[in-house]
Amino acid sequence: MASGRTWHDRHIGYFFIFPATLMLVAVLVFPAFITMKLSLTPEGGSGRGLTLGHYQKAFQDPVLLKTFLNTFAFVAWSLVGHLTVGLTLALALNQALPGQTFFRLVALIPWTIPDVVAGIIFRWALNPIFGCINPLIRVVFPSFPAEFQWLSNPTLAFPSVILANIWRGYPLVMVMLLAGLMAIPRQLYEAAEVDGAGRMRRFWHVTLPGLSTIILIALALDMVWEFRRFALVLTMTGGGPGTLTEVLSTLVYKTYFQFFTFEYASAMAILMSIVLFLLSMPYIILVGRKQ
Amino acid sequence: MVIGFSGIGSAQVKIRFQTWHWGEKPVFFALEEFMNGFNKANPGIEVVRDDSRYADKESVYIAQSQAKSAADIAHFLHRAIPQLADRGYIMDLTPFIEKEGGQKFLDQWDPKALEVCKYKGKIYCLPDYANPLALLYNTVHYKEAGLDPNKPPATWVEFLDYARKLTRAGRYGVGLIGARQEGLFMRLNPWIWSAGGDYLTPDNKRSALDTPEALEGFKFYIELSTKHKVVPPGVIEQGAQEVRTQMAHEKVSMNVAVIQAPLIIKAINPNINVPEVFAAAPIPVNKKKVTTVEYGMRVISAFTKNPEETWKVYKSWYSKDVQMRNFNIYGVISARLDVKNSPDIGKNKFAKVFAAQGPYTKIEPSIPEWPKIGDAMITAVQEAFSGMKTPEAALRDAHLATNRALGVQ
Repeated sequence: MASGRTWHDRHIGYFFIFPATLMLVAVLVFPAFITMKLSLTPEGGSGRGLTLGHYQKAFQDPVLLKTFLNTFAFVAWSLVGHLTVGLTLALALNQALPGQTFFRLVALIPWTIPDVVAGIIFRWALNPIFGCINPLIRVVFPSFPAEFQWLSNPTLAFPSVILANIWRGYPLVMVMLLAGLMAIPRQLYEAAEVDGAGRMRRFWHVTLPGLSTIILIALALDMVWEFRRFALVLTMTGGGPGTLTEVLSTLVYKTYFQFFTFEYASAMAILMSIVLFLLSMPYIILVGRKQ
Repeated sequence: MVIGFSGIGSAQVKIRFQTWHWGEKPVFFALEEFMNGFNKANPGIEVVRDDSRYADKESVYIAQSQAKSAADIAHFLHRAIPQLADRGYIMDLTPFIEKEGGQKFLDQWDPKALEVCKYKGKIYCLPDYANPLALLYNTVHYKEAGLDPNKPPATWVEFLDYARKLTRAGRYGVGLIGARQEGLFMRLNPWIWSAGGDYLTPDNKRSALDTPEALEGFKFYIELSTKHKVVPPGVIEQGAQEVRTQMAHEKVSMNVAVIQAPLIIKAINPNINVPEVFAAAPIPVNKKKVTTVEYGMRVISAFTKNPEETWKVYKSWYSKDVQMRNFNIYGVISARLDVKNSPDIGKNKFAKVFAAQGPYTKIEPSIPEWPKIGDAMITAVQEAFSGMKTPEAALRDAHLATNRALGVQ
């Protein structure tokens, strides 16, 4: 039996997605292809043959391995921070408080600030001479050292960058969780309350199960963002002290644009993309299942 | 008829002139005067502004070159020339130079500065400015610390003694750079070299950082902060501009500086009477009198669509009048001999001291591996400053990394 749909009806969708597809090919597929090709080209672009030498070098490069570990730590701590701050604020902003809209807008401000600007703000704020953090701490704790070093301190540099990144990135998680909270039916809370569940039990047995899918999606998306975080780290520490805060994106940038070793940097970028793809798999599967 | 039409419709050839100074006073005034003056005198050619930033001038140019759309004329420091030439991004200027008279034309420039433009038998640029580094100091702080402003420190021992005496009342004796930027080398080099050390062996084949002399210079630089505490805290966060800001706000009293520093300090703090308060002197000496130099140069893109017109603009920028005006507006010392040796330089309180350092200048090796070696040195400086490693261990690691970069087994 004919569906009644004409050829035009069945194919019009392709027409609509064509511009977006073309754009994606231009800005994503084509550069990815060039990067892949470059990663297989001998050093300096010499010769016509292809080589896997850069990948071989990458697997034996202790700096790359250390940077991968740094990046995993950076992503993991950022995700923990984003979830903690994001969930706390989402719960607070879901209450019927006076000025709710105002507070929701204020909580979104860090998300509107570009990475570079956030990096510069934190670099200045944490500066031991001209910064504002040390004087603020001294208001509460007068014995706190006036010229305390944050970004120059090997123990505190990485946590400082992560804290800045938590501040800059929590709103994405917060907004998603807030939307999830608003979608949980009121009746579930009322029923739990009638059954004698206290605040904490309602949170564990109603709120968290109701948010579980959104939490997974938010964290998966956030992980992809944080894995590629670049400008914040570059402007705050440049990867220092030494290479303590070096992350993959800053290492690839340095290797490509400062060392002029385009081919090796491309191999690093491809490896980074593969790892990122593997880490995104749970999200892709989850979204696929939902559909 | 045809003539009439060509007159009306003659297209302007646009030449993109790239530098990181377009948004920066007072350099901006010199650039604008050049652009307007050239455009007025050459109706068929239009020089247009093309911005880059100091920190990512190379990355912007690489990306543009890979798209074959780099600015026709671009501004770099000497370190980038070998890499840009190796990748084929910049034009060999030899044919233009031959047309202008060959060696006779080149004789107008400081031969030492010109050497930096030569790579693998070709000439990729003309040297624009050659700014030797010197010691800039606050004479008022000297007086307050009981030091004679007319007797700046001449040796390392004196320098350390002065720095200790100047570290008082919330101020520090010296401003140092520890941030990850190429400006670090200009401040570190004189100490390494004055102790008799060097980065590489004379043939540029191996690291020379394992010598006691290199360690002595490196250690002196590091210990000004870690041991003698005459440097403001957070040294690895300080770049050149941060240190100049510290000087402008009287947080530090001495700094190894470029000649533009007095003008920049004035721009940061207009309330400070720079010519009265500051003075310049040669960098204190240990075993050798040596300083380093900032060579600025302009290159022509290998992908320019209008090489003849670009050369015309290029040549105009390097003319005596423009170079002299550049000195008068923003204080850089031209590599053109007739400008460098002009009486105007000798009359300027700061310029005469900086220019007099010319014979003692030296630069890092001009080899394609330098960025990796430099990066290893910055890592060593930061690790030693932050106490992650002793100066000995940090320099030893830099030595190993340097040899790895050079392919030494």
